[in-house]
Amino acid sequence: MAVMNITAGSQAILTLGNTEALSLPGAADGMVIPFVQDVTVNAAPGIVRYSVLDSSSSKAFTTVNENSVSGNMLVDEDSFFGLSGATNTVALNGLFATSTAKTKVFFTVAFEGADSGDHYIKGSGFIGGLAPTASMDAAVWLSPVEIIVDGELTAATV
Amino acid sequence: MSIRTLILQQLANTLANGGVVSSDYSLEANELPWNASGQPLYVKNMRVVYVSEEEEAKVQLYRTLDQGDVYQTETLVQAFLSEDAKNINANNPTVIENMLNAKDIVNTANGFNVQVADSGYEQEIEGDTITYTFEYTFTTI
Repeated sequence: MAVMNITAGSQAILTLGNTEALSLPGAADGMVIPFVQDVTVNAAPGIVRYSVLDSSSSKAFTTVNENSVSGNMLVDEDSFFGLSGATNTVALNGLFATSTAKTKVFFTVAFEGADSGDHYIKGSGFIGGLAPTASMDAAVWLSPVEIIVDGELTAATV
Repeated sequence: MSIRTLILQQLANTLANGGVVSSDYSLEANELPWNASGQPLYVKNMRVVYVSEEEEAKVQLYRTLDQGDVYQTETLVQAFLSEDAKNINANNPTVIENMLNAKDIVNTANGFNVQVADSGYEQEIEGDTITYTFEYTFTTI
């Protein structure tokens, strides 16, 4: 039993790719989103509550999961607008173009890094939620980012 | 080039060109405002502007999960000027205005991404001497 300490700077990693192989933690051409301030994996199932006459507490049943991955980042020029020459088309086009083109991407959220045995969550979906903001107080461009997951999230190890 | 050096460079201009140098005022470009026989040099040498060494603090502006952190540098520089309170020079308001505006020399063209640039001064009269203490504060990224 141990907490997963992320302070070393090499643990909580969000990697994108146009194929699943390119999105795996540590993949050579994986697009690691830099300058991420926080990342959240949402995997809560949908719940419908209902009342019955013979109970003073409500009952519930589950519906489909609505999965997503969200976070906030400092906007990096290459990852936002694309890096020419990249073989990974998500990296080539950048987050903004991939989002506006509604291109499906594969992703992983590494919890412990990219070393053998490290845990991660993977899936595929669409980039959304980009809302870059600039102000003199902030000094740099900031943006939220969200991946609206298409289907299941799956846990795996490197 | 340091922020202090830039401010010295600006103040070294003539009064008409945004500095303090004229027949009545001058700038001490080398010495810091140290005390001679218990008296600060800027009190001993009236109408001579002295600029202190800068004080700096590096503050973390953003923390990121990959430790690509962004820091801001907070810099404080002080400048000092004394005058005979009984006989304020006619150019005094221009000198003060130019000293306040000297902060503008710290800019992107001179190598600093300035987020905040403030200047202000306090004055104190002791005996027949009025001393202006200017503070320049900068936040740079």
